[in-house]
Amino acid sequence: MKVLKIRALRGPNLWSQHTSIEATVFCDDSENKINSLDGFETRLRERFPEIPLLQTAGHHDSITLAHVLELTTLTLQTQIGCPITFSRTANTPELNTYRVIVEYTEEKVGRLAFEVALQLCTAAIEDTPFNLTDALSHLRDLYEDIRLGPSTGSIVNAAITRNIPVRRLTNGSLVQFGWGSKQRRIQASESDKTNAVAESIVQDKELTKRLLHAAGIPVPLGKEIDNANDAWLAACEIGAPVVVKPQDSNQGKGVTVNLTTQEQVESAFAIAAEFSSNVLVERYIPGNDYRMLVVGNKMVAAARRNPPQVIGDGIHTIQQLVEKINLDPLRGNGHATSLTKIRLDEISVSHLAAQGLTIESIPAKGIRIVLRNNANLSTGGTATDVTDDVHPELAARVIAAAKVVGLDICGVDVVCDNVMYPLEQQGGGIIELNAAPGLRMHLQPSYGKARHVGETIIDYMFDKNDDARIPIVAITGTNGKTTTARLIGNLFERNNQRAGVACTDGVFVNGQCIDTGDCSGPKSARNILFHPDVDAAVLETARGGMLREGLGFDRCNVAIVTNIGMGDHLGMAYVNTAEELAAVKRIIVQNVASSGYAVLNAADPLVVDMAEHCPGSVIFFARDNLHHPVLATHHAQHKRVIYLQGQHIVASGENGEHKIALKNIPLTQDGSIYFQIENAMAAIGAAWALGFDWKVIREGLSSFISDSQTAPGRFNLFNYRNATLIADYGHNPDAIQALVSAIDNIPSKKRSVVISAAGDRRDEDIRLQTRIIGDAFDKVVLYQDQCQRGRADGEVISLLREGLGNASRTRKVSEIVGEAIAIDTALSNLEDGELCLILVDQVEQSLGQINHRIALG
Amino acid sequence: MSERSSSNSCTTKKDLRFINFKHLNGPNRWTYYPTTEATVDIGELEDFPSDKIPGFYERLSAWLPSLIEHRCSYEEHGGFLRRVKEGTWPCHILEHVTLELQNLAGMKGGFGRARETSTRGVYHVAVSAWHAEIAKTAMHFARELILAAMNFEQLSSPSYDTAGAISKIRDMVDSLWLGPSTACIVEAAMARNIPTIRLLSKGNLVQLGYGNKCHHIWTAETDRTPAIAESISRDKDLTKTLLQSCGVPVPEGKIVSNAEEAWEAAEDIGLPVVIKPCDGNHGRGVFIELSKREEIESAYQIALSEGSEVLVEKYIAGTEHRLLVVGGKLVAATRGDSVSIIGDGHSTISELIELQINSDPRRGNTEDHPLNLIRLDSAAKMEITHQGYDSNSVIPSGVEVLIQRNGNHAFDVTDEVHPSTASIASLAARIIGLDIAGIDLVAKDIARPLNEQGGAIVEVNAGPSLLMHIKPAVGTPRPVGQAIVENLFPNNDNGRIPIVGVSGSYGKTAVSYLIAKLLILSGKRTGLASSNGLYLDYRQIDKNDNANWVAANRTLMNPIVETAVFENSFDAILNEGLAYDRCQVGVITNIDANCHIGRNDIETVQQVFTVLRTQIDVVTSTAAVLDDVKKNISLPTGAAILNAKDEMAIEIAEICDGEVIFFSSEAKSPVIAHHCTNGTGPTHNKRAVILRKNTIILTTGTHELPLIKVSEISSQSSSKPNTHEIENILAAIAATWALGLEINLIRRGIETFGLNQQKFKPENQDLSINVHPQGIYL
Repeated sequence: MKVLKIRALRGPNLWSQHTSIEATVFCDDSENKINSLDGFETRLRERFPEIPLLQTAGHHDSITLAHVLELTTLTLQTQIGCPITFSRTANTPELNTYRVIVEYTEEKVGRLAFEVALQLCTAAIEDTPFNLTDALSHLRDLYEDIRLGPSTGSIVNAAITRNIPVRRLTNGSLVQFGWGSKQRRIQASESDKTNAVAESIVQDKELTKRLLHAAGIPVPLGKEIDNANDAWLAACEIGAPVVVKPQDSNQGKGVTVNLTTQEQVESAFAIAAEFSSNVLVERYIPGNDYRMLVVGNKMVAAARRNPPQVIGDGIHTIQQLVEKINLDPLRGNGHATSLTKIRLDEISVSHLAAQGLTIESIPAKGIRIVLRNNANLSTGGTATDVTDDVHPELAARVIAAAKVVGLDICGVDVVCDNVMYPLEQQGGGIIELNAAPGLRMHLQPSYGKARHVGETIIDYMFDKNDDARIPIVAITGTNGKTTTARLIGNLFERNNQRAGVACTDGVFVNGQCIDTGDCSGPKSARNILFHPDVDAAVLETARGGMLREGLGFDRCNVAIVTNIGMGDHLGMAYVNTAEELAAVKRIIVQNVASSGYAVLNAADPLVVDMAEHCPGSVIFFARDNLHHPVLATHHAQHKRVIYLQGQHIVASGENGEHKIALKNIPLTQDGSIYFQIENAMAAIGAAWALGFDWKVIREGLSSFISDSQTAPGRFNLFNYRNATLIADYGHNPDAIQALVSAIDNIPSKKRSVVISAAGDRRDEDIRLQTRIIGDAFDKVVLYQDQCQRGRADGEVISLLREGLGNASRTRKVSEIVGEAIAIDTALSNLEDGELCLILVDQVEQSLGQINHRIALG
Repeated sequence: MSERSSSNSCTTKKDLRFINFKHLNGPNRWTYYPTTEATVDIGELEDFPSDKIPGFYERLSAWLPSLIEHRCSYEEHGGFLRRVKEGTWPCHILEHVTLELQNLAGMKGGFGRARETSTRGVYHVAVSAWHAEIAKTAMHFARELILAAMNFEQLSSPSYDTAGAISKIRDMVDSLWLGPSTACIVEAAMARNIPTIRLLSKGNLVQLGYGNKCHHIWTAETDRTPAIAESISRDKDLTKTLLQSCGVPVPEGKIVSNAEEAWEAAEDIGLPVVIKPCDGNHGRGVFIELSKREEIESAYQIALSEGSEVLVEKYIAGTEHRLLVVGGKLVAATRGDSVSIIGDGHSTISELIELQINSDPRRGNTEDHPLNLIRLDSAAKMEITHQGYDSNSVIPSGVEVLIQRNGNHAFDVTDEVHPSTASIASLAARIIGLDIAGIDLVAKDIARPLNEQGGAIVEVNAGPSLLMHIKPAVGTPRPVGQAIVENLFPNNDNGRIPIVGVSGSYGKTAVSYLIAKLLILSGKRTGLASSNGLYLDYRQIDKNDNANWVAANRTLMNPIVETAVFENSFDAILNEGLAYDRCQVGVITNIDANCHIGRNDIETVQQVFTVLRTQIDVVTSTAAVLDDVKKNISLPTGAAILNAKDEMAIEIAEICDGEVIFFSSEAKSPVIAHHCTNGTGPTHNKRAVILRKNTIILTTGTHELPLIKVSEISSQSSSKPNTHEIENILAAIAATWALGLEINLIRRGIETFGLNQQKFKPENQDLSINVHPQGIYL
């Protein structure tokens, strides 16, 4: 088997809405039917017993190795706990070539799983050994390493449930919620409202306690000391028992509690001094450790944390008892499982020593041995949910504590005997505050009720009905995408929304160009959705990006398909027919929000067929009157249609109709440029779908100017000497056809054209372009452009020539190498009253050249 | 806050002996600002005014020439030195020398007083003291200097190391006082009448504003600086990725994990390149314009030691600029400059650096120096190696050697920044999410748009230093502190909460309690510090005597408190100063001078006046406190609440900058009659609260409103209320009326709580406050 190509589809795509790996594989004849590989399935099952049935009941046709690869890749991922379900294998038009598509949740894991699956299949074919355990643990490690931790994960899942878009900004825990100007961020359990000063304050525990004390919150006030002797003096002053700890202790490292003797205090000092040069002695508050979580103005969860401990059986040593406990599958090595393995490290050993024990001691039956004083889950402790038991006065102190330091999301460490009474009543206190608190003990307490704190945090960050989305208009089609995109951008701006427009002309935010070149792919879409100044996104969505990577967004409010026509780029990436192309472009329609609209060209049957794939509603438009059957039917059902009535565009729907005169839409040149009427209709449909005021729509249409400045290469009209020049980027038969019909409305004595073609188009498409030209122009200048996209020298020109074979109008044809020379030649030979259409490829340069010529006069 | 001097008891007779030091943290009997008050025994020096000590004037003016600026009572340049020449007493000189030493060491403050006590030769010397320890040290050095200048030891060439003393004080300032960035924000806040509280004795954490109106700053970070934004800005590669996706120009770059990769990346990106640590600080380990493989590889090693990962970046030609964005606006910009030396044919590079660069007086190692000293650090060494030299190379005459690029951001270019560049900088800060961002940008000409010259943003910094903008070596200092304060406190908000200060001889505790009760009723989270304890709403936080500076300060630090009532005993004002610089309402319940005379060196009625007036001096004068408390309290100006029966109160009324409201249990008092006819104080308001025929009446001079009959006020005691109890009620009503509480609410509150004052009588002090059934508001 040969793998021809592997891609990650990072958004909704041709196959599904899931993020997936798409591999193109070639199977040789034997692999095309696995039944022909003797004993293959048996060998595969020996190596990977969990692989599901290769053939469903009742089917007898042999499946291909590509299918096996698909199932293996899927099952490897589900084996390590990835929540995925989707996979499929699709035929391609090429013989024995398949595409294997398997969902992933983490791209790297998906890619690795595919690789492992390939190795597994190869091993099964060649009957070589395969170490499944190693492979799975390798995959699992990678998955654990890159997936979000439990705290961040819980918040992210809550956001997904609330339909809030989620995007990871790093491999770590920095996550963006929402889009554009509505975006918010978290990093682990810190929100973007968690302030840096508060974070610094809580890192200084003494300062924190001073501030809490100032606000009347009970805290064990302490003293900073710098030698063992002073530690003891401080202990005497504060009154035993005391705690000795490093000033910036992390996860309880170096902390020793409940000290009463000089010896204890001094040795505790030595331990603490290893972690920090600043050591503190403070009042020891007896009781249990509690962790309470404050989110906003609420205490949302509380857990009692118990230190790791073993219970003697009179037989086993402490070490053996610990090993026994660690066998519990719930205990893992990191944060991923609800409990962490108990470690018998130096701190435990010294804690045992303080009790006169070693790890070899055998405690009597029923004797409870505490292994360390620290109750953190990360050192093997357990957590018990006590949220419902917390006394309101105690909760009030905890909330006040977070407020005093200024933390919106805060883990408050409380020590007291029982949370059912106020702190003051039992001499309890708050000992520490934590920014970015771990949520694991609340999400998966060892005992008691789980608290959905991820949801709480999301509900705190986002109002009830706020999904942090900005409106997205996605546009695809063969021609007119860019002009429509920019016109809609103008409508948004008229509506006081800062628009981000990504199109083949570049990326524009609030009218400013921030990126140039072809920006109609998913990367540009993601950039727009990340930009903090964008209130609405208009995304030209080209075929290439959709095939390569899927969409750059999960859902859009409006999907516009301008037309498919005869199609463009056919023959590339297994898309050979206009129907197949329609299936690709349909992706944006399939991913319209249920409250959204698809705006579809009713005059194009392939586009009309997309309507049934739209989860939302449909607005049909056509440069035709209401008698057009598609429009008429839709209209009869009281659904929205946009059509032409004389010199007006009419939008008619459930709430009556609105008329806009073509003369008020400068883009259409008083209605003379037909394809611009269609573009205007599509834009009107989008604005209508988004509920714009009609006044805004009218203003937006009338203020939109399309010239070589604002829309370079989009039917730019020039007057040069006594001739008319039109520069356009048209490069497919539909575009040429549209240009020809637009030109029909412009009076001219003679017509000439400067034309080339992109080499990556099919022969027939190149010929078709000149076939249209030949019936409409008197003079043709053929040129060979800069990049031949894989064609041999002169090949494109000769195809263009062939198209002119039966030309009814063309009398003169010339051939030139180089766009600039071709334009110069055409301009030099202009006659009075001539109309010259220049099909530009290097848009900026050629427009510059034309402008220069005009300036010279 | 007082401390016995440790100097031994058998002093020489001609000495300035410190008996004790007292630090007054806030407004006090001397002045509005923090003050250190020393009690000084000058013994025999009482007989030695300065003109009687030969050579003293000459030595003093030589050792501390800047004393010429002290105008003193002559109100003229050189006024103080003229006093010295003509003869003045040592404590007066001590005052001036202390202040001058503090000023020279970088501490502001120009207030000083020296006053005799009733004991001969013993004086109180009070000086501005923004930091107690610094002021005390300055005073000790001042004493040494003065004694040395007096030269009673008859040394042939008496001398004093003034520079040494100043440098020791300066060291203290550097380690104990606010850094320049923080200080500039704090000063801007003070200029806006926003109160400030320093929260760390060493360090730059400062609270601006009081209670729930406060904001915190820590150097140039605020409580609006998201921790996430700060952590993004520390990751240079992530920062660039995010900026780039929004179209902000950044240099192309790559993270590399070994020296070889660094070279490969450099070749990919295109030479020359910049090598820097991914998360380093202050330009450490940053190497610019490298083209040779060896250079790149050795730069990689050094950069690695400064951070966890190393970034190879395209070199952007141009000069480094620092743009400061605050609240989305560009507020300052500086240009960095390269540092070079020019050879003289015989000096080495090291020598030339000292001779030509470090000799500049603007260069130094303290934060107050606008330019840093130049050291041949690893980057500088690399730079000169690059040019074919080492530190001992002798540079031919006239040859220029580059020592450091982008060394100092010392040239203000704020007005030159092209508007499009300013908006890109603002966008960059917004992308990262920073309210205050220092943006490092490389451009050839900051006055031209970035894209046309290939300029780029190379870094975004959280908590940027402001020094380069406050003290540019060349150009205009920029009001960056103001911009930061404006961003935290927009729309003239001054971060204040309504504060009521209650002082007087008797009844303070009861009056504070009643006022607090009424404020709680109005729905405000109320802090109360009184001798009966410290309270937040109904909850007693501390049951000890809390009528002191610490308790009031605690309350003002509490971001939950919306309004506060402070009892200030006479002794607390005298010994600690007030905890607040301004209050809306100042109450003096009554004045019995005999209560205070005879303690703490207070001997005259005038001294009693000086202490108690402090409470009225701080009453808000104008509409400084905006109408910020929407529902129940709105107060255009501050008010003094005074007892019409106290003669001294009438005198104090004259010095009040706000409104005066008198209260009186005698309706026919001539003071009330005069007040209601003519008004009192700058506003000539005529409001008063009086008792007539057992009815408490609010009068505006023209209108009267009977509030409540005494018989309607519930009381737990059966005996008839005495005059003191009635007056306490009148004072509390006047205060809450001044605060703008609704009349009905005041009436209802007084009806319920008015006469339940017995718990404040000494014999009942142990009674605890009942927790209100409604519990605690959150």
